[in-house]
Amino acid sequence: MSASTHPGTETLLRYAAGTLPAGPRLLVDVHLEGCPECRATVARLMSVGGALLEACEPLALAPDALDRALARLDRPSTRRNPAVLHHAEAAGATPPKRWPLPEGLKLPPGVVLPPAIASRRIGRLVPVAPGVRLGLVHLEEDPDAQVLLFRIAPGRAIPQHTHAGLEFTHVICGGFSDPDGHYGPGDLVECDAEVDHSPRVDDDGECICLAAFDGRIRFRGLLGMVTRPFL
Amino acid sequence: MSVQPAEPRVAASGAELSALIVAIATRADREAFGRLFRHFAPRVKSYLVRNGLSANAAEELAQETLLTVWRKAAYFDPTRAAASTWIFTIARNLSIDLKRRERYGDTYQAEAHEDEVDETSGETMLMTAEREARVRAALAKLSEEQATIVRLSFFQEKPHSQIAQELGIPLGTAKSRVRLALNRLRALLEDLK
Ligand SMILES: [Zn+2]
Repeated sequence: MSASTHPGTETLLRYAAGTLPAGPRLLVDVHLEGCPECRATVARLMSVGGALLEACEPLALAPDALDRALARLDRPSTRRNPAVLHHAEAAGATPPKRWPLPEGLKLPPGVVLPPAIASRRIGRLVPVAPGVRLGLVHLEEDPDAQVLLFRIAPGRAIPQHTHAGLEFTHVICGGFSDPDGHYGPGDLVECDAEVDHSPRVDDDGECICLAAFDGRIRFRGLLGMVTRPFL
Repeated sequence: MSVQPAEPRVAASGAELSALIVAIATRADREAFGRLFRHFAPRVKSYLVRNGLSANAAEELAQETLLTVWRKAAYFDPTRAAASTWIFTIARNLSIDLKRRERYGDTYQAEAHEDEVDETSGETMLMTAEREARVRAALAKLSEEQATIVRLSFFQEKPHSQIAQELGIPLGTAKSRVRLALNRLRALLEDLK
């Protein structure tokens, strides 16, 4: 089976268009840091955005709009410019700050957190099921975003859960399999809401991965009770 | 200030628009800014209204976008991106930030990387003027329905239902047509290498 290990075209388009929610957007940022192929696709799609902007039917501004703009030219910017941040993020620029590794997370030798994640505060990893630890990645720009960092023991199944929209998983180290194929470091997997899948981590090492969701997520059974305070 | 009151109604070419940004960067040319503003601000407003902003918010953000162009003009590299692509990127980022502020208020300040702006874009924005032209050629090869799908996918927050409505087809059908249209777009874009 050939499983896709890159974000889908629609996801990359939503990323380029700026309509992808903050959680999945962060995972795509992480993927782009390591994937020149998808970076090239995003660059082409940005260009499509430019062409569509050019083709937009102009919508008249207020008559004094240009005068107001001209009057503001020499005033210093009151706000720092977020346009710059996302641009730099998309290109994998060095993040401004690094948080210490969260309690409960040990990375194998040679493995580091992707820069887009290392610049985020991650909550303490807590056990939520046998062999499964979970920490919440805090997104200052979207406190409601659910981005989870999983640390899962060899041979364990990733807990059963359901979600309303797309689910995105990014592998940091180790690997797992589902009926469609096998996934390793740098891979990004998209799963549809309809699919009730329970991926299984490789036997030869633990898997550290990130998950983000387009809709809200619900875990079944005991894990649901344990994770409720987080989600 | 010496801004010409009326813009002669000629379609500006990509190279001319790029030259306007370069004129802003190299000599703070207010007249160039005026021309750029007249061309792009109404288009940015139109894009933002389709993107779900109110007319007022879109107007403000169109202003903000063009002011950002003025301030960041030095980072624009015409050999790497078309003016329209660069301005689209700015409008996109400002609209992401505005939607966030509408939800959560102004507590979070995005970190600015003043120095890094476009040094890093060498990698992501491998677009030359020629490639921009070919992107437009790829768009022209789409069927009318596919072009509509691509446009709505770009501009709508919930494109599937909008596409279903606009094309008069069930939601499930819309989803599969979106997939087909975007795959075709991607294949056409990949021919551009
Ligand atoms: Zn990729």
